[in-house]
Amino acid sequence: MKVGFFIGCNTAFNRPDLEQAVRFSFPLLGVELDDLEGQSCCPSWGTMPSVDLAGWSAVSARNLCLAEEKDLDIVTVCGSCYGSLGEVRHKLQNDPSLKEKVNAILKGSGRNYRGTADVYQSVGYLCQNIGLDKIKQSLKYSLAGLKVALQPGCHSLWPSEIYPDREEDSFHPHMLGDMCRALGAEVVDYSRLTDCCGMGGMRSADMGKSFDLLTVKLNSIKEEADPDLIVTGCSSCLIQMDTAQLPLNKDKKINFTIPVLHYMQLLALCLGAEPQKVAGLAKNDVGAVINKIRGDGNV
Amino acid sequence: MINGSAEIVYDLSAGDPGFIAEIKEMGGEELLECIQCGKCASVCPMALAGFPIFNKKLIQAIFFGARDILLDDSSIWACQSCNRCTEICPRDVRPFEIILAMRRVAVRELAIPTLSIEGLKSLYDVGHAVYLRDAGQTRLKVGLPETPPTVLASPEALKEIQAILDQTDLREIGLFPMQGNGMADASEV
Ligand code: SF4
Ligand code: SF4
Repeated sequence: MKVGFFIGCNTAFNRPDLEQAVRFSFPLLGVELDDLEGQSCCPSWGTMPSVDLAGWSAVSARNLCLAEEKDLDIVTVCGSCYGSLGEVRHKLQNDPSLKEKVNAILKGSGRNYRGTADVYQSVGYLCQNIGLDKIKQSLKYSLAGLKVALQPGCHSLWPSEIYPDREEDSFHPHMLGDMCRALGAEVVDYSRLTDCCGMGGMRSADMGKSFDLLTVKLNSIKEEADPDLIVTGCSSCLIQMDTAQLPLNKDKKINFTIPVLHYMQLLALCLGAEPQKVAGLAKNDVGAVINKIRGDGNV
Repeated sequence: MINGSAEIVYDLSAGDPGFIAEIKEMGGEELLECIQCGKCASVCPMALAGFPIFNKKLIQAIFFGARDILLDDSSIWACQSCNRCTEICPRDVRPFEIILAMRRVAVRELAIPTLSIEGLKSLYDVGHAVYLRDAGQTRLKVGLPETPPTVLASPEALKEIQAILDQTDLREIGLFPMQGNGMADASEV
């Protein structure tokens, strides 16, 4: 099995430990990664999607072409990439005149978008194509005794109709939870599970309001679930939830710290990856969590 | 601040009659299906966080033809692109598409946040809207090559991206100078 790995700007430049986690885990589960050399930004929502529909679609379609030219699907750990590429794929499937415009733009680079490559997010891809049992059997370490709270991420869920790895009921998602339980973790519920983390356009527009939104969510997690760890399915959620806790503590908006990891980082750790490589850039100390997983006190 | 919306007064006689058509043209095709039921607002993070003009209100304001008022308000840029609204709308309006359409109208009036211009410029210059200068060091720290196998490692790919962007409305709108490899090549000849 082989799939194109769409890295995404935030993962490549901000959290390459997450990139390492993907590069480590997929092959161990029998999925070879293709680099889709020359891939660009998805492009993200505040850029081309906000300027020009055909232009956005052309940049995304070029990325999709890189996979379809090799007969591959795409997998990403970033909700925005998943959403931007997935939306364009969906639009091009349903709008022949847009597809025509896009192919006219791509023609100069010798490309022609056909629409064969599907776009998956990492958790959904593994859940559907590898399955919980195979994941369980591949583990070197388990998360037994670890309480995790989930952050599935907006773009992993909505609009569900465009995604090949959609949830049955996107307002009551269960995939990320199933995948964490497959690692042996106890998944603890809290009422604001599907609330937004505040990253994205809102954070750029008004950091205060974005952080207020997150504060409500974090308090709900702490008070109702009190987990050892927050597990995200999206690199943007990872960055927001991991970095914002520091200033929120400083401003006395919260008075606790909860470590945050992307699911792929947690999986890599359970598969035996070197912690420094796959989780070495976490802002909130993940040492205790890693010790608990590896049980070797070596971190 | 949070109740900023209460201060917005719509002058119904001053509405722009062509506005609805303009929004539809920019991608908000299902606009007129909206019955103002408010489901989209009930799940919207922008509404929850207190931005005055969220999905449902934006649509109503477009019905009013309140183009100038909307151009003066920056709420649309706080949209999270989360598509909760698209998922829940019983009329398939796809409210997020209306937000994007309104942004496209605003961009053509040069009403666009600096961060978006920077992102677009970065997309054009290096192929990534988000690019951190010291990223190479961060990557080395976790054992990855300094440069990822993206457009950053491929001058041809960057040329391709720039050629694509050169054919979009970006060039006409003129938010930043677009002098990519294509032009440099031309001047070399
Ligand atoms: S949910 Fe749909 S129909 Fe209801 S107000 Fe929002 S856009 Fe209009
Ligand atoms: S996509 Fe934007 S308008 Fe729709 S619910 Fe999300 S934040 Fe609100």
